[in-house]
Amino acid sequence: MARSAKAVPWFLFAAGGTITAFVLPVMLFVTNLAPPVGLFSEAMSWETMYGFVGNWLVKLVLLGIIGFGLWHAAHRLRVCAHDFGIRADTVVAYIVYGVAGLATLATIWALLMI
Amino acid sequence: MGARRPYMRTMSKTSWFMTHARFKTYMLHEISSVFVALYMWLLIDGLFRLAKGPEAWEAWLSFIKHPLVVVISLIAFAFFVIHTMSWFKAVPQAMRIQQGEHFVDGKLIIGGHYAALGAFSLFVLILAGVA
Repeated sequence: MARSAKAVPWFLFAAGGTITAFVLPVMLFVTNLAPPVGLFSEAMSWETMYGFVGNWLVKLVLLGIIGFGLWHAAHRLRVCAHDFGIRADTVVAYIVYGVAGLATLATIWALLMI
Repeated sequence: MGARRPYMRTMSKTSWFMTHARFKTYMLHEISSVFVALYMWLLIDGLFRLAKGPEAWEAWLSFIKHPLVVVISLIAFAFFVIHTMSWFKAVPQAMRIQQGEHFVDGKLIIGGHYAALGAFSLFVLILAGVA
């Protein structure tokens, strides 16, 4: 069988697509749409959030959401660049996957500080 | 004899997808990645501020409440819903479940996904509400 180097980015893309599809609408609602109208102000307070994210299981889940979300977005942005006429695919791939990798490391760093 | 003048199809590099309804829906869910990337960046920033302390967290919250950010968040929400719907729509093609002689109906798989989405969303909302 032919071996493809695309298996890894494809797996990350598919996993990220599934996770973001389930999680992001309700997550964005809680973090961005509820606070301006005064909803969930207790849950979004520093004390509650700090305690919540302090749990190692929550940290792991957040790393999963952000990490896979980043790789999913990176892969799609690479395709988008091609769709808008940018043909330097290798350069684009290094940039989008590179930024996703660095941002994943930053996420781990931030989570370890909480 | 004149120079060869082959027919070159004119196609815009930046707006080709506007020519066909199917291309437009394709582009719509591809563009959702821009908002996913922006949201991930916002979340990472929020984690650093959460680690820093209450004042830094309050600054992040007031940024969230800025009218321009609220408008972008609403657009992002619409794109997230588009992503979810297009992703679920593609699931039966990516994941074929065989049961005996037949394949499970695609509509059932999609329906299951929406049920799980509803249950999960409700769970998060209740969690945020009782906190």
